[in-house]
Amino acid sequence: MKEETILITVEGFPERVVEGTTIAQLVERYGIEDHHLIVEKNGRFVYPQDYGTTRVEAGDDIEMVHPDFGG
Amino acid sequence: MILPDIGEEGQRRLKAARVCIVGLGGLGSISSMGLAAAGIGYLRVVDCDRVELGNLNRQFLHGTDDVGRFKSDSARDRLLALNPEIRIDGWNVKVAQENAQDVVGDCSLIVDGTDNLATRKVLNRMAVQKGIPFVYGGVEGFEGMVTTIVPGQSPCLECLFPGEDRTVDREIGVPGPMPGVVASLQALEAIKYLTGIGPALSGRLLLIRALDMSIHEMQVDRNPRCTVCGSMERNRG
Repeated sequence: MKEETILITVEGFPERVVEGTTIAQLVERYGIEDHHLIVEKNGRFVYPQDYGTTRVEAGDDIEMVHPDFGG
Repeated sequence: MILPDIGEEGQRRLKAARVCIVGLGGLGSISSMGLAAAGIGYLRVVDCDRVELGNLNRQFLHGTDDVGRFKSDSARDRLLALNPEIRIDGWNVKVAQENAQDVVGDCSLIVDGTDNLATRKVLNRMAVQKGIPFVYGGVEGFEGMVTTIVPGQSPCLECLFPGEDRTVDREIGVPGPMPGVVASLQALEAIKYLTGIGPALSGRLLLIRALDMSIHEMQVDRNPRCTVCGSMERNRG
């Protein structure tokens, strides 16, 4: 059976992902290993503890931001 | 002050304030000058490093004559030259959990000028514990971020970056003016908080990207499971 996909925006670019994709899966898909990565969903910060349970929905705008710790 | 939003009362509040700036590199250079010139009554400037020639592209507080001196001494001299009417202490100490209370515990506001997450977490914990506002700023390359932590109202740094510090120790290069952009915003947040105008960046993380000259903001809610501000609140009652 073919999996349903949805269209979201990641870092400003359109992206098709399988329906039900979580933030954790999205981060893994992009191969990002920054432990302190900041993920934003529709302008709102997503707690890292919620990556595994937060699912993206059609039309979502996702940004992944590397934190700035220099001074 | 001729600014109507600040006025004489605002200026009096600035004079009565005690601000601690931890880290006197790129960020601390600019925020400390902004706050000294604004007339903050007492500034404590803290850093344990010495000035190096390679610092000078962005650490405008120090000059070539200061190379080899402690940054806390160099900063104190420069800031007093800028405003001899205020009190400035230069503390040559490395901030850690053990001494954090001595360094920032008696201040009315903390400005972040550090260059690592571990020290920021120490400051954040002390800020939340003592109810002292903490203006976080960070830079990396052509990017920077700022937020103001108001204990009891806004999310804290642990809400944003939970868990143990797993940052990789590496040299982070920045173009000279970049820390100044972030540190100027930090100084503005400090002035607004202290004068009663109120910080605008409480619960908002401002992201500055200089490559495309864009500024973007992210809404951040308090994390009820936060091990720092969440647990302290639970303990209080």
